[in-house]
Order: sequence, then C-alpha cells, then structure tokens
Amino acid sequence: QWKIDDKPVKIDKWDGSAVKNSLDDSAKKVLLEKYKYVENFRLIDGRLIICTISCLFAIVALIWDYLHPFPESKPVLAFCVVSYPLLTIFLVAHRKDPAGMDPDDVWQLSSSLKRFDDKYTLKLTFISGKTKQQREAEFTKSIAKFFDNNGTLVMEAYEPEVSKLHDSLALERKIK
Amino acid sequence: GPSPRAAMDLFGDLRRMNKRQLYYQVLNFAMIVSSALMIWKGLIVITGSESPIVVVLSGSMEPAFHRGDLLFLTNFHDDPIRAGEIVVFKVEGRDIPIVHRVIKIHEKENGNIKFLTKGDNNEVDDRGLYKEGQNWLEKKDVVGRARGFLPYVGMVTIIMNDYPKFKYALLAVMGAYVLLKRES
Repeated sequence: QWKIDDKPVKIDKWDGSAVKNSLDDSAKKVLLEKYKYVENFRLIDGRLIICTISCLFAIVALIWDYLHPFPESKPVLAFCVVSYPLLTIFLVAHRKDPAGMDPDDVWQLSSSLKRFDDKYTLKLTFISGKTKQQREAEFTKSIAKFFDNNGTLVMEAYEPEVSKLHDSLALERKIK
Repeated sequence: GPSPRAAMDLFGDLRRMNKRQLYYQVLNFAMIVSSALMIWKGLIVITGSESPIVVVLSGSMEPAFHRGDLLFLTNFHDDPIRAGEIVVFKVEGRDIPIVHRVIKIHEKENGNIKFLTKGDNNEVDDRGLYKEGQNWLEKKDVVGRARGFLPYVGMVTIIMNDYPKFKYALLAVMGAYVLLKRES
C-alpha cells in the first residue's frame, strides 16, 4: 500500500500562489514517489545553462568595458549585446519544444489557478518516446476539495485525483 | 513596506525550494540586471556616446534646457562642431557631463578643432570649469550632441542622488522581491 511519506503540507489558504505551488509540488510527488518516475532535469538544466551563459556575456561586456573604456571596447560590446538577445530567443524556442530529442516516454504536468479563483486545473500529458504522439488528461476542481480549514493539504483527497489522470492515460496506452 | 505576513510567505516560498529552483531564482535576478546592462551598453554602441542619456543638472542653459531635463545624445565621429551648437562634454578628470553652447572655434592646420563653450544663462565662458591651464576643449572631450529631450523626467535621478538612502531602499525592495518570489 503506497503512502506519501512526508510531513503534511500546511500553507496559508488565502495565499493563491502558495496554494498553487503546493498542489503543483504534490502532483509531482505523486508521479515521482508512487509511480517511481525520474524527474527529467535535462530541460531545466538546459534552461539554466542558457541563462547562465547569457549572464556571462553581460559580465564579460561589463568587465571589458571597464578595463578598455569605450570606444576601444566597441567590437566586444557589440558582440555581447547582439549575442544576449539571440541566446534569450534560443531559450524561448527551447521552451516550446521540450520533448523533441528525448527517446524516453515523457510525462508532463501543467497547471493553472486564476488569481482570486478557487478552480485549480491540473493537466497531465503523455508523450511517447517512440511515436512522439501526445495524449493528455486533465481535471478542474475547487481547491476547497483538497485543503482543510487550517490550510493543510489533504493528500487522501488529492492523490487519487492525480492517480486517476495518470491511470487513464496509462490504460489508453495498453489498449492501443 | 510589505506586511509581516507577506514577508513570511515570501520566505516560505524560498524554504520549499530545492537547489535548482534556488539557482533559478538567483538567475532570474541576474537576468533582469543583465538585460538592463545590455540595453545600456547597446545604446552606447549604437549612439557612439559613452553616456547616451544625460540629465541637465543646472539652470545654466535656460531657457533652452532646465534642471531635470533628460537629453538623448549621439556622438558620431563625423559630426562637425560648429559655433552656436549645443554640445555635452566632460572636463578631463571629472565625471559630470556639462551641457553648454559652443561660442568659439579654432581650427588648426591639420584639421583638429579646439573650441570654447559657455552656458546661455552664465555671465562668463567655461574657462573656469576647464582643467588647470586648459583654455580650450577638443573633440575627445565631447560626450555627444543632444538629438532629443524629455522635460522634467530627469528630476527622479536628481532626487535619488540628493537622497541616496531613498535610492538604496528602493533598489533593495525591488531586488528582494525578484529574488524571493517564486515564478509559477
């Protein structure tokens, strides 16, 4: 019998972003701990690396300009100033195509909770490593169903909903 | 400032983050600073001026410019310097850009130019402002020529320089907010 093995999450139930973050984190926990998936850091690491390189270009421009004041620094500055937005554009493009190169099956979670609204939408997407086809399932429920009056997340109410999403997609796979 | 509860919530967000998310928060902050830096350096490259945006600090050019006006400069190599034109220059060894009018030009045989400046609203020319023993300015002292201006906007900069505590407090609050708020 699988059970979530952590302290219960308690947040301020009026803080919309804390509510959303805890629901997001717990959904991820279900996938990682119950279904034993491994978090794919490649996408996030790629983003972190691109951002870090962009900042490095900015730092190089700053230091070079300080050591060799303008106008001698013009070519280096121009190079950095042009590279910086190019890297940022590359970053955005990278974000739009997350599963492109991956040979493994990929499960993707995404969620939304509008400001001052109580309806939380959780979407689970399955991307087949072989066929690259996508299937998704989602639910929209009031956050009141998952939190008690003190702001503690009730996993017994939340975990089954997440598992239902997963199992519906996993079942579709077996039928095909 | 933020209420105690709001401040606690920000730290709560931070406490729940793993190493990657923490690094992402720092990167977020660094990206904002880097973007501002790159825009400024980009302006420097495009305009050819080491200080493409300057604030008029005194009333010495009234009624053309007033204290607090924001000026947009270019400094293209081939821009000629002519008497009657307004230039922005720096005195060697000093940081503050001065916005005055060219009143006299001296052209040497080899084509180099020396010029004298004076504020419209001043009684005397700028020789008192120049370096010890310097009577003329040269092209290398020019920061740029004003190509556009916005009235009053520069007052914010003047206020922040007159009250540095206000500037640091503002920057600290903005920095803390970006660093601590988790991006959804």
